[in-house]
Amino acid sequence: MSVEGALSRGILHRAAAIIGVGHTNWVGDAERTKRGEKPHTGIGYAALAFLDALADAGLSQNDIDGLIVGPTVPYERMGEILGINPSWSGQADSGGAILQACMAIATGMAETIALVYGNDQRSAKVEYGGQNAASATNYLAYAYHAPWGMTSQGAIYALMARRYEALGGLTEAGLAQVSVALRASAMLNPNALLRNPLTVEEYMAQPYVCEPLRRPDYCLINDGGVALIITSAERARRVGNKAVHVHGIGRSDLNTDASSLQGRLTDFYYEGQRKAAAASFDMAGVGPSDIDVIQIYDSFSLHVPLALEGYGYCRRGDIARYLTEQGIGLSSSRPVNTSGGHLAESYMQGWNHQVEAIRQIRGACGARQVEGCRFVHYSADVAGKCVSIVYGPGD
Amino acid sequence: MGQSRAIRTIYDDPMWETLASGVLRLQQCCNCRSFRYPPGPTCHRCASPEHKWKPVSGRGQILSWVVFHRTYFDDYPAPYNVVAVKLEEGPMIVTNLTGKKPMGSWIGRSVELCFERHSNHGLVPRVKLAGDDHRNVED
Ligand SMILES: [Zn+2]
Repeated sequence: MSVEGALSRGILHRAAAIIGVGHTNWVGDAERTKRGEKPHTGIGYAALAFLDALADAGLSQNDIDGLIVGPTVPYERMGEILGINPSWSGQADSGGAILQACMAIATGMAETIALVYGNDQRSAKVEYGGQNAASATNYLAYAYHAPWGMTSQGAIYALMARRYEALGGLTEAGLAQVSVALRASAMLNPNALLRNPLTVEEYMAQPYVCEPLRRPDYCLINDGGVALIITSAERARRVGNKAVHVHGIGRSDLNTDASSLQGRLTDFYYEGQRKAAAASFDMAGVGPSDIDVIQIYDSFSLHVPLALEGYGYCRRGDIARYLTEQGIGLSSSRPVNTSGGHLAESYMQGWNHQVEAIRQIRGACGARQVEGCRFVHYSADVAGKCVSIVYGPGD
Repeated sequence: MGQSRAIRTIYDDPMWETLASGVLRLQQCCNCRSFRYPPGPTCHRCASPEHKWKPVSGRGQILSWVVFHRTYFDDYPAPYNVVAVKLEEGPMIVTNLTGKKPMGSWIGRSVELCFERHSNHGLVPRVKLAGDDHRNVED
């Protein structure tokens, strides 16, 4: 590519590269928490994941000059435990953390940044509905409608699913295909928590949690940690050949009518996804047809069809045919959430999706490896905060 | 478990005060005339802080509905429904459908406001199908 071509993509295009990924033993820790044990706190999980990522990158603690911690761990104590006194820092969710890290690297605020996340939500009995619903202080919609019994993100997605079906989206049996496909992929992933098969019939036989959604539409709730090491593309070249570059990244937030939920129910975040997609694809210089694997933030199954339509993989209103004819499983031409995602691998709030994206491009996914995987697209639309990342090969 | 709790900031208080007498009032912007919900200090469309509290017509349409099969609050034992209703004035409220239930899809059904007494929150606005002669519950 010419220098002009590269510049027109913006300064974040291939500015940063992921050179290390790490995570805790989700399966082992889930077994221990099920027995009533408390293996670690969120900070502990994050620290163990950091060591794993550092080893993967072949670096030491002293090489890190930037730190971003996830929203579930306190920044200062985390940095103290990791022994990092950085020149730049932040606190963000997974997609936001990658975006901030790219910006810090491109502007020279830091060269090598550790992104760490840890969560003891299972053993700490974190609740996502009811009087003490998590995140209610940050998202008014999660608490405001409680006087009418409205609570839990699952119920919000149930409202969306019902309207989505009425507007020509997916029936319950159509939506079932998402959980079924992700479970089949998870069966080939030794790190996945749910590795028993699931059929559409078994899905339909499950009781509703909040009708029309059933348990398999909801994400897991488990303890664990994830860490990523991101550095400048230039430094990645010196370090070795495992680097995966951030080719494109974009963000678009929809805040209007968020608290009443009207925004979700009338637009389903399509507009935010369209803008984030355009920004990230333009920056990457690739489009949906170049993407080999899609990683979609799937706290609920409904995220998957909405993202496939919102990011232009499937025409709006065509999702039922897309799921039946093309599919999203490992044998499809463009598999989604190859690790099993939040529904079947681990609920690490988007962080585990980054690990899977990197490993697919590295060709390190074993039985679930997608042959010849070059570009992976990550998408999140949590509460209308749409983040889109295009990962691709290094040099 | 526990009881459901209302979020009542200083912006919400005027709404709750008239709910107690069976009237749903929302803020209407004096500049661009748009209604807003939940209540807030300024207009999200034109940024004007000037507003008046106006009673709504009570007419609306169901945008979506769900049925809870899991209990999250002691005062809302499952099963119960939650509906999203687009009011004639523009805002959408989240509430419950009381009285008769439609056959088939609830989406697009015309509804009207009614008020029912809740153990903690006093009179709360709910909706019933337009034309349903279901009596407001005053237990
Ligand atoms: Zn206004």
